[in-house]
Order: sequence, then structure tokens, then C-alpha cells
Amino acid sequence: MKKYLAKRVVYLSLTLVLSIYIAIIIANAGGMIDDILSAQIKYDITTNLARSPGWAQLPEEEKLRLIEERFTSAIHAKGLDKPFLERTFIYLWDALTLNLGRSLFITSASGTKQISVIILERLPRTVLLFTTGTIAYSIVGLVIGLRMARSPGSLFDRVTTFFAIVTQTIPPWFFGIIFILLFAYQLRLVPFGGMVSVPPPSDPFNYALDILFHMALPLFTWIFSIFGSWAYITRNLTMQSSEEDFVTVARAKGLSENLIMRRYVLRPSLPPIVTSVSLSLIASWQGAIITETVFGWPGLGRLYYQAISILDAPVIIGLTVVYAYLLVITIFILDLVYGFLDPRIRVEMG
Amino acid sequence: MSLSREIQDLSQALLTSRSGKTGLIILAIVLGISLFAAIYVPFDVVAKWNEPTFWQKNPRTVAPEWGTFFINKNLPPTLDVAPDDFNKNEYFVTASSLKYVTLEALITYNYDDFPSELAAIVYATYAEQRPLVTITLERPDGLKAVLYRDILRSPVNYLYLSSDRDIRDNVKSFLLTLGVDTTRTIYPELSLFAVKNDDMVDTRKASVLKGFYRIRIDVIAAAEADTADAEFLLYGQVYGLAGTDSNRRDLFIGLVWGAPVALAFGLSAAIVTSIIQSLLGAISAWYGGLVDEVIQRVTETYMILPFLPFIIMISIVFRVDIWFLVVIIVALSLFGGVTKTARSVTFQIMNEQYIEAAESYGASRRRILFLYIMPRLLPYIVANIVLAVPAYVFLEAALSVLGLGDPMVPTWGKMISDAYVGGAAVHGFWWWILLPAVLIMVTASAFAFIGYALDKVVNPRLRER
Repeated sequence: MKKYLAKRVVYLSLTLVLSIYIAIIIANAGGMIDDILSAQIKYDITTNLARSPGWAQLPEEEKLRLIEERFTSAIHAKGLDKPFLERTFIYLWDALTLNLGRSLFITSASGTKQISVIILERLPRTVLLFTTGTIAYSIVGLVIGLRMARSPGSLFDRVTTFFAIVTQTIPPWFFGIIFILLFAYQLRLVPFGGMVSVPPPSDPFNYALDILFHMALPLFTWIFSIFGSWAYITRNLTMQSSEEDFVTVARAKGLSENLIMRRYVLRPSLPPIVTSVSLSLIASWQGAIITETVFGWPGLGRLYYQAISILDAPVIIGLTVVYAYLLVITIFILDLVYGFLDPRIRVEMG
Repeated sequence: MSLSREIQDLSQALLTSRSGKTGLIILAIVLGISLFAAIYVPFDVVAKWNEPTFWQKNPRTVAPEWGTFFINKNLPPTLDVAPDDFNKNEYFVTASSLKYVTLEALITYNYDDFPSELAAIVYATYAEQRPLVTITLERPDGLKAVLYRDILRSPVNYLYLSSDRDIRDNVKSFLLTLGVDTTRTIYPELSLFAVKNDDMVDTRKASVLKGFYRIRIDVIAAAEADTADAEFLLYGQVYGLAGTDSNRRDLFIGLVWGAPVALAFGLSAAIVTSIIQSLLGAISAWYGGLVDEVIQRVTETYMILPFLPFIIMISIVFRVDIWFLVVIIVALSLFGGVTKTARSVTFQIMNEQYIEAAESYGASRRRILFLYIMPRLLPYIVANIVLAVPAYVFLEAALSVLGLGDPMVPTWGKMISDAYVGGAAVHGFWWWILLPAVLIMVTASAFAFIGYALDKVVNPRLRER
């Protein structure tokens, strides 16, 4: 068991390092962002100097020398004078030690460029919407899935399966656009987007109500588009375990259908369900880039998109690192939990 | 031999299950649309998709013609009075050395609503002096309005009668002679076609004056060889089978061409990634040892990478077209979930006797992999391809919504994003959003239905009892 866990830790750390390194390379577009950055610095310095009094009187070489001097010091200050490959390892070390540093452009509402502050400011909003939504659709899906499994082939089962097949391919943001069109523009039931009204209500109670009002449609969309496929997965998992011999034995013993469901059917199908729930919970913390964009929800997904669209590499890396860490830790915890939940795996581990 | 059996199994599953049949029928329709697009809608129309002048004879953001069915109102289509439809009269007066050209045409207007815009195009050839043009509209009630009287500015003069300031002023003075209040904004296409009363400037209250309208264009040219022709356009409130967008483009062409683009994009991305991933999964299981170790670690790494942010990132930095996007998708999906499934399935296959038999008569490792193992993986690969296609179609749509799609090719996602940006939701231009949205959803569902049918072959435990 110890040996197995130690091996998993080594593998997972290796995976973490590798994926963060790849993220760093891609987030810097293989060094291309450096070129964009230094070109911009050079442009800024030149235009700044050109505006200073007496610049026009200076001789041409003097001008070039001044620009070059300021440029080198600015590049040095930003650490851009070292070769790209060398810097990627510095970035990697910073990322692994969660030293997320400062953003290039994006600032938090409080005005700081500290990436950890920016992320912590956005995280609660994403958790509020997507984690709530994920928990809700898991529960709804689980309940419906169990009902489907109880009477496979019934009208309820077939209708829900149809619904699941259709919705599983259509992403939430797509439903989002259609629902905004329907509920916000045509029926005028909910706001078009955003998280609070402009200007936001001042007293805390109304503020909370206002957020709930803005949250209603994205939350509904999120649940609506995912619970079907989730119910279908639950149905299949429970149906698989309800075909096992021990369930037939339990039935033969005359146990009540409820007890059979709880003790013999649900329990063996629990591990995969737990895995899916926890992985989608982690994924929900990352937010949904396009869904948040469509609904104008100012969470982490939107931050990701903002950072990408103005090529703020440190923020992109920061978000990826936090996500990778969360994912790897969750996978490790799942490994542990699996060991306790399923005796077959416990034996394998030993 | 084994390969043909696998294919037989799959096709049988598709043809016997209801979901498989439904999916195949929808897919056949989408394929039919693609073929129709390729054969009947010439590609140079698509090439002109982003060229505004090509579409200027279409009305702006109007509903499809069948939209009138729901409101029980006879909305006008676009009426194009072509140069040949005009009655031409020309004569030259030697004394003043002036040439007079009179063009006259009759328009029957029996619709329940007003045109959306008016335009006149004057085609003229002249030697030195530019001709003087007068455009007059005579209404069924006998009233005459002079719309335009000026020297032509160029040989082909496109006169937007609805938005031109001078023409609005002309219509205003016409209304003044009728004693109508002209302090409001004047809409020529409304007032000129409204029953004469005080409401003829009110967009909500004005009623249509039905009957025959006579359009008369008088040209006075300075030389005998000068010529003049004209075209008169009454833009409608409905157009074609799918309406138009804010750039006057015929959405039907975009919708029809969206089908082959979506299929080609989704299928190529899905086929390449599924095959590569399952091949790597099979290699991982079959060769084992260090190869297995490396492939598994890399797969886990890949599965942690945030796929969508990276694609968005690369699209922004490199401004990709739709085919380069496929390359990026493939590069970021070399390893993935399918690698894991293929690996575990390969482990099952490896224990079967025919593999042992092949090994014992000395078949090479590679031969066994490609000829005995890969064919057995085929059902999984096919099921994966089918299930992955809609994901890629929606991925393209998502990038379009973020403004990162291919700017040249008309895709369904691009149309939805155009509609969204163009305020279709605010103004209630339902056809602009709903038609591409429905097409995308129906196509995605077709693949989902087929995938569902195939899934039962791949996972026999899912079969209903």
C-alpha cells in the first residue's frame, strides 16, 4: 500500500511538472510573446522620449544611444534579457512553488497586479455559480438516473435517454445563447447578463437578491444542459451492477427493493460516480470560459479569456498552475478514497 | 476477415436500432445539403461572402419568405425593376444639341406593408458633360413626387433613396405640399407608399396605398451618343428561404455552405484524433514496459492540460484559418481519453487465443498489432469518431462566438456569432440566430444518435434486456 502510494505521488508530481512546463511554453507562444513585449517596450520608450523637451535638438547617434540604454534597462528589469529557454525554467520553479508573481496588464478590482489576489477575487464568483450548478446537476442526475434504472425501457426511461442524447452533445454556452434570447429578450424574465445590476444595490440583503436574480439563468442553463447525460451515466452504472449475481441473490432472499438498491446496487457503482462528481467539481472551479463570456459572468473563466485575449502570459500560467495542482491533488485523494471504498482495489494496492 | 465482421456488426447495429436509423436519416439529409451546396451554389458566391457590393441588391436583415405564414400578412418581397423593364424613349434635339431620355416603368404594389428601403441605380455613358437626371414617382392616387434632380456623379450612380439627405428633403417638400406635418423623421419608403392623410409619416399608423406606381426617370444628356439606363429597387421585408443578415447576405447560402464545412471540419478532426489516440493506446498495451510507462505518463499530462484555453491562445497569436485549426486540435489531442480506453481493450484482446496462435507461428509484433489488434479496435474507434464530431463542430462555433473563427469561411458558428454581435436578440431577428442554431443542433444530434447506437455494440452491457 505504501509502495503503491509512493509510486503514485512520484508519477503525479512528474505529470504536474510536465503539464505546467508545457503550459508555460504554450502560454508564451514559444517565446513569441517576448518579441511582442519587447517591441512594445521599445515603442513606448521611443514615443516617450520623443515627447520630452529638447529631444529634437539632440544628434541622431545620441538619440539612438538613449533609446538603446533605456531599452536595455527596461528589458533587464522585466528579465527579458536572459534566453527564453533559461527563463522557462525560472517560470517553472516559480509556478511549482506557487509564486504566481504579477500580471502584465490585468489588475484586480482593488487595483493590484498580484496574480494571487486577482485569482482569489474571481474564484468565489465562479464557485458560487458553477460549483452550485455542478452539485445541483449531480443530485438531479443521480435521482433521475436511479429512477431510470429501476424501470429500464419504460416511457420515462426512453424520454430521458432521448433528452440525454440530445443535450450531451450541445454545450452549455449554446443553450445559454438560446435561453438568453428566449428568457431575457423575448419574455423579459431575467437580466441579459452580468452578475449585479448597475449600479449595484447598497444594502447587503438586496445585493444578495440581485446576484441571485442574475444567477438564475446561467445556473438553470448549466443544470439543464448537463443533468441529462449525468442521469444516463448513473442509469448505466447502476444497471450494470444490478445485473450482478449478488443482486439476484438478494432478490431471492426477499429483501425489499429499496434495500437492494441502497446496499447492493448503489454501493458498487459509487466509486465511478464519486470520481466523476469530484472531477467535475474541480473542473467547475476553473469556470467555463465561453459560458461565462456568453453570460458576462465575471469569474475565472472570463479572467482566463481576458488574459488570453491581451496575451497576459503570467495570468494564463497562474490559472493553469492552480488548476493543475487542484486536479492532481484530487486525483491523489481519489486514489486513496478508492482504496477504502472498493476492497478489490485495496487488494491490488497491497 | 475479422475486419469485415466488425464492420458488419456496426452497420447492423445502426440499421436495426431506432436511434441509429434516426441518426442516419438526419445525417443523410445533412450530406444531401452538402452535395446540393457543392453542386448548385457556386463556390464563387462563397468567395464573395465577405464582399459587401455583391449583396447590395438584397434587403437588410429581413425574415425568410415563409415567415409571413405565421403573421398572416402579405409582406413585400424585393421588387427589382431591371433596365429591360423600363420603357425607353429617347430623342435628340439638334437646336439645343441636347438628348432627352425618358425611362418609364409600372410597379404593381399590392402588399400589406411598406418596402424596407428604396434605391435607384442609373447607368450612364457620357462624353464630357454629365447628364441631368430627374426621378419622379407617380402614385396610384395621381400624386407625383420628385425624388431626385441632380447631375450624375459617376457613370454608375447608386442612389440610396432611403438614406440620402437630399432625397429626404425632396420627399419632405412633397409632403409639405400635401399639408402633412413634417417635423418628424421622414422615411421616404414609408411616406411615398402611404395613403394620403396626416398619419403618412407615422411608422406605426400609416397604411399602405395599394395599386400601380409609375416610376419615371428623365435624363438630359449633352451629346447624341450618350446613353442612360436605370434600375429601381424596392427592397422587401422578406427574402428567400432563410432571410438576410445585416450585411444583406443571403443566409440560405451561408446555411447551405455551413453543412459541408461543419462535416468536413468535425469529421477530419475526429477521425485523425481518434485514430492516433487509439493507435497509441494499443501500442502502449501491446509493447508494454517502458513504452507503456511513457505513453501513460504523457497521456495523463495531456489530460491535465487546459485544452480550450490553449486553442484560444494559439488562435489569437496566429490568426488561424479553419484547416490550421484542425492541425492545432490534432496536436493538442495526440493523447487523451481514447488512449486509455484503447489500452484497456487491447489488454483484453491480447489474452485471446488467436493472438497466441499468431505469436506461435512467428508473426512479427508489428504485424500482430496492425493486422490482428487494430481491426478489433475498429468499433471503438468508429464510436469515438461519431461521438467526437459534434464536439468539434461546437468547438469551431465557440471560437467563432469569441471572435476567433476563420474570417473568410461561412460557418454556422460564425453566423450565430454575427447574429449575436449584430444585436439579433435585441431586435428580434429570430431567423438569423435560430436557423443556424437549429442546423447545428440537428446535425450534432444525428451524430449523438448514431453514437448511442454504436455504443451498445462497443459496450454490450448497455444493451437493454
